[in-house]
Formats: sequence, structure tokens, C-alpha cells
Amino acid sequence: MTRLSARELAIPGRLQPTGLDVHGGELVALVGPNGGGKTSLLRALARIEGAAGIVTIDGEDIDDAPMARRRQLLSFLPASRDVTWPISARDVIRLGLDRVDELRVDEMISLFELDKLAKRSVNQLSTGERARVLTARALVGNPRLLLLDEPLSNLDPYWVLRFLEIFECAATSGHMVLAALHDLSQLDRFSRALLISEGRIQMDEAPANLVASERFEEIFRISSANGRWSIRTPADPRSLP
Amino acid sequence: MPGFASLLAASAAIRVASLNMCADEYLLLLAKPGEIASVSRLSRDPADSSLWRLGQRYPGNRGDLESALKARPNLLLTMGGGGRSTNVIAKRMGLKTVDLPFPMSIDDVSTNLSTVAAALGEPQRAAAWRRRLSQLRGSKLALRDAIFLGAGGNSVGAQSVEAEWMGLAGLKQRPVPGGRASLELLATRPPAVLLRSSYRRSERSIGQTWLEHPLARPKTSRILEVDGRPWTCAGPLMVAEVERLRMQL
Amino acid sequence: MRLFLVSLLILGAAAHLLLPWAPLSEAQTIDPGLADLILIELRLPRTLLVLGYGAVLGVSGAALQAIFANPLASPDISGASSGAALGAVVGGYWLGFTQPLLLAACGAAGALGTLALLVTLAGRKADTATLLLAGLAIALAAGAATSLALALAPSPFAFYDAFDWLMGSFTDRSMAQAVAALVPAGIVTLLLLRRSRALDLIALGDDVAASLGLRPKRLAMEVIALSAIAVGACVAVAGAIGFVGLVAPVFGRQLSRGHPGKALVPSGLIGALLLTIADLAVRAVPLDRPIPVGVITALFGTPLFLWLVVTMRRRVTA
Repeated sequence: MTRLSARELAIPGRLQPTGLDVHGGELVALVGPNGGGKTSLLRALARIEGAAGIVTIDGEDIDDAPMARRRQLLSFLPASRDVTWPISARDVIRLGLDRVDELRVDEMISLFELDKLAKRSVNQLSTGERARVLTARALVGNPRLLLLDEPLSNLDPYWVLRFLEIFECAATSGHMVLAALHDLSQLDRFSRALLISEGRIQMDEAPANLVASERFEEIFRISSANGRWSIRTPADPRSLP
Repeated sequence: MPGFASLLAASAAIRVASLNMCADEYLLLLAKPGEIASVSRLSRDPADSSLWRLGQRYPGNRGDLESALKARPNLLLTMGGGGRSTNVIAKRMGLKTVDLPFPMSIDDVSTNLSTVAAALGEPQRAAAWRRRLSQLRGSKLALRDAIFLGAGGNSVGAQSVEAEWMGLAGLKQRPVPGGRASLELLATRPPAVLLRSSYRRSERSIGQTWLEHPLARPKTSRILEVDGRPWTCAGPLMVAEVERLRMQL
Repeated sequence: MRLFLVSLLILGAAAHLLLPWAPLSEAQTIDPGLADLILIELRLPRTLLVLGYGAVLGVSGAALQAIFANPLASPDISGASSGAALGAVVGGYWLGFTQPLLLAACGAAGALGTLALLVTLAGRKADTATLLLAGLAIALAAGAATSLALALAPSPFAFYDAFDWLMGSFTDRSMAQAVAALVPAGIVTLLLLRRSRALDLIALGDDVAASLGLRPKRLAMEVIALSAIAVGACVAVAGAIGFVGLVAPVFGRQLSRGHPGKALVPSGLIGALLLTIADLAVRAVPLDRPIPVGVITALFGTPLFLWLVVTMRRRVTA
């Protein structure tokens, strides 16, 4: 089974020194308030500039891996869906591979139902369509670790569910998937949830336990009852902003 | 053997091509007709050169080496041309080259005259010019306050070679801020003598319109119209200008 | 398509070398060796410079657009060309023109200075408006400084050379000058071309590129420095020429199907072609007064630039 092991991950000012272990088959959600460090954790794992610490996948240090090898180990999908250049959707997906593999690209195109959009320029697609193309790019190389920042935003309901299916499939076939989420309604589809706030992993539980905990309610300032969310009444009325 | 070296060897006769209007002046004034191969097109243009009738007798060039070559020169006369390697290329083609510095003083004009005369093989040709110059310099005149006025009010520097020529005519160029005389200056402190340049007078331009303003002709100044063309280069043609000004003043 | 482009380029280069034909045939009648001399000493350096400078503008324009992720970046808009002219003028009139290589170094230093200023002012990830404003401000300032330097230069003729520096000129450039400009520019351009694949990956964004193992900040510094050196060396010999570096990459990206890194080579070819045509127009058109090359490039560049701005606007509002 593949495993990710991260130690002393830190980004000055955004992420405190943190450690993390993930196994193949896990579908991990990263939740937390804005600016709390979800994106920073993903970026630190992706070894984006300025990140300290050591990240190994199956004992292999990512920082030492040459570019060709990195693609096999991990891939990162940022929250921003902007693409400046008028590149065709198919070509964008191809960028995820460093060798020619049209069969694999075709697989991604049918998986994300991009057949009609394959030849169109990605910067002329709607945000949701772009999200599909860019996610396809992240998946095409079949990396062991998927780091996804808000993968479900800008998607209509059909695609939210399809994406979750695709991620579940990836997890089942042994990959590790970490996804930062804003919308908590899909949290129950994940096998593990990390609550990140103030640059630290505050909680690391099964989603159901996480949502029910007092800590969760404190940090998010909302509580769940009967499957509905509502704003949590603060203990001290004077602490309202 | 480079093309021109063979020409040079074949005949001792000098044929000079000049690529710059100010260098042209020296050539046109000192050389015999058979010695002039080509002059710049500006020296053939009445608007720019007072020697244009003389200039039009010879083929014109566009100021670059290639356009001068067809006139078969064996000596190239240049002045200025910062980024260009005209002389380097000309030497490689077997041409002799003479590069004149832009004159910063009347002494420089005199030196240039000698240089060109020597290049033509007869240094004594410059003697007549030097005589006229020393005559002008010999007789010192009392200096009167003056301003040279070109299009748009542009004047000359008080320490410039043009001002030195004015000095020989008994005129002291007043230092004006930015080298430009404003209408306000002419109205409040008009000079004793005002030299108005007729350079490109008939052309429509903002500068010419400025000169038509009533304040550009102060009533208390002695106004003299001058041919602006020799002033562009401030070279040997200024000798005649100074002599003429002396007679008028 | 590329084959067509290369053949057009060869045709253009041959035309540039041989036209106008009249002086060559006249030279033949004067002396058999003279026409050859003109070709080798005057025409050949000029053609090489035009091809090389055009290619440099195309490649560095494409590289700058890739690294700034902005189709309006270019040597002229970023102020690099103006900075190079300033460097060359200060170096040339104060240090002397006898050393073409030294002059090329001054040009490169000027370009590096202005690009560094741009990155400091606008940052690399600036939006279009900030980039344009900062770049134009720097270009204007450098242009004004160049005019001032020329006006105050020790040689009074410097001021009349302003046109050559600010609008470009290939007249009477020697082979030594061509070599001094093109050898460093060529080496540096090859180094830029080696980064094509990395620039393609930058198109996915800095973060994705970093996750793939690239170092975006270092790549940006490298591209900026290499572009500055290449452009600087050329400007030091032939003056600042605008629009080619802006327009050639637009067509280059048509050929590369939008990929900014793959567009480097086609942009170089197209830049060389555009500048060859512009300089041909300057020489072959029988006018008695010389028109600087920069005027021609502005003539065809401006409508293309406007079209670019309009299409960008449409894309943003769509």
C-alpha cells in the first residue's frame, strides 16, 4: 500500500510545523475557515517554493525526485481556474503528461465528458468546464498523491457528484486523495477529515465525529442539528463582531 | 585588391564624397570641380544650404556609404554619425577617410579648413580663408547686446561657436534660459540688435507662426534679417555672414 | 506552415541582401570587385543584423509574454528597449564607440536595469493594467533620459543621432558591429529556447509548475536577464525598434496553437521576417529623405496592437 509521510511541513506565517501520514485508499477532506491554512498545507505538500520540511511517498523524498518522476508521485490542482493562453482543452490535458499517450488523454476526455469541448480554447470555456479540463490534467498522469484545492467549486450538482465518484474511484484503486473543501455538505463522502485553522491541524477524525465535536463548532461558529446547519449562538453575547 | 585602392593607384586625382551637409561646405568651398564626387542631398536643397546651386552640379547621396559609392570617390569626408561604422567599412573597401569634428569654436573651423585642404593635396588653399578670418579677428569691435532668433524662439548658446561668430560682428549673444528667447523676454528686455533667421520661412510650422507674433519684432530693437542656412553648420560660410553683418551695423 | 515561413524568410533575406539592385549593377560597371565589396561589407552585415535583431525581438517578446503571463508584455512595452538605448547612449558618447562589444554590454546593462525596475514596480504577477502602466512609464522615462543624455553629450552631433537610437537604424553597420551584437544575442537566445518546455508548463500557473518541479521565480529571473542581454546587445548597435517584439509572438502563438513556450521558435522566425520587410521598405522605397525603421514597424504594428487590445477586452467581458 502506498503511503505519504510528511514531517516538519511549514510555510512561514501560514503553516506551523506540521506532520501528516496518509495511506493509499484514503479520501481526505481538508476543512477550515478562510485563511486558516488549508491551501498552505496542500502547497507545502506539493513542495511549492518556500515550503520547509520533508515529504516522502513510499520512502522516496519528493524534493530529490527529478521532474519526470515527480509527475508519477504527485499532482496539484490550484483553486484558481484562470488560464491566460488560448490552448485547446486536449492540449491542456496533454501538458499533464511528459510523453505522448493519446489513449490516456482520450480516457480523460471521456471520463470528464469533454468530447465536444476537446478542440475549444480553454480560456473560452465556462468556469465549470475549465474546472473539468484542469482536473483532467491533474489526473492524467495517474500520480499516487492527488492534492486538490477546492475541486468542487464552480461545478453544477451533477458534476459535484461525478467528481466525488472519480475521487472515490481513485482512492479505491490505491491512490491518496487530499481535497480542500469549502462546502461541508459533501463531507460525508470522505473517509477522513482534517480541520485546519490558524496554521495547524486542529483535528484529524472521521467526518461524522469532526462535525459533531465542540471544537468544530467553536472554530466554524456553526452547529449542525437534524441535518441542518445554523449559526451557533455565542456563549458571550458581547463577543459578536 | 579592394575596389577603390585600385582606383587610387590608377590615378593620383582625388575624388571626394562628402556625406554630411556641414562637411560639404568645406568640400564645396575648397575643392576644384573635378575633385568633388558627391555631396549630401541637403547641400542640393535650397531650403537647407546657401550653396545649393553649387551643390546641384554634383551627384547627391543620402548620407550613407552605399549611396556615395556610385560616384566613384577615393576619399570619404564625414562628420558625426555616432552609431555608424561608416569610416571603418570605407577603410576596409580601400577608401581613404577624413572625419571632421563638429566645430566648437572658430579655431576648430579654421582647423577643419586646413584639414580638408591638406586632404585635397594643397594645404595652401585654406590660406585665403585664414587671411579673411584673421582680418575679422584683428579688428576688435565694441560689443552690443544681441539675440539670435530662430523658429519658435530658439536661440544659440552664449558660449557657442555661433556666438563667437556674432562676436566678430560686434554682437554679444545674451545668455537666454534654455537656449530659447521667450516673447516675454523680448517684450520686457528687448536686445539692442535682433537677428531674425529666415530659415524655412515659407513653411507652415508652429515655430514659424511664433516668429510672426508682433512681440517677436520688438520696436526698440534694431532688427536684421539673416539667412539662417549658414548658421546651421556655423562653418566657413559664416565668414561672409559676419562681413555682411559688419557692413549693415 | 513552418516550412512556408522558413522559405518566406529565405526569400526575404535574399531580397534584403540584393535590393535595391541598381547600386550593385552600377558598381559592377565601375570595378568588377566593387559589387562584391558592397555585398560583403555593407549588405551582408546589414542583412545579418536585421535577421538576428528581428529574431531576438520575436523570441524575447514571446518569452517575456510567457513569463509575465500577459500577451502585452514585450521588450518595448516593458521598457527594456528604451533602457538599452539609454545604456548604449551613455556608454557610447561618454565611453567612446570604438569597442562594439563594450557598447553591447552597456546596452544589456541598460535593459537589465529597466526590467529590474519593472519587476520592482509592478511585480511579476501584475494585472495587465499595472504592467502596461509601469512598463510605459519606465519606457517614457528612459526615452526622455536618452534624449537628455544626447542633448548633454560631449559631442554636439549626438542630438542629431537621436532618431537612430530611439527609432532604429541599420545604415553603415560594420561586420564587427554585427558580430558584437549577434554573437552574445545568439548565445543568449539559444539559452532562452532551451526553456521553451518550462515556459509551456508555466502556462498552467506558477503553483502547478512548482509542483511539477520547476522553480518559477528562478525561471522568471533567468528569462528576464536573458531577454535583457539579447535585446540590449542588439539595441546597442541598431537602436530601439518597437512593435516587432509585441506582434511577432501573437502570430507565433497561432502557429503553436496557443502554447507560449512552443511559440518561441515561430516568433523568432516571424520577427526576423517582419523586420526584414520593414528594413526593405525603408531602403527600397525611393524617397530622398531617410525614414527610420521604427516608423515602419510602428505603422504596421499599431493596427495589430489595437486589434490585440480589442480582442483582449472582448475576452475579459465575455
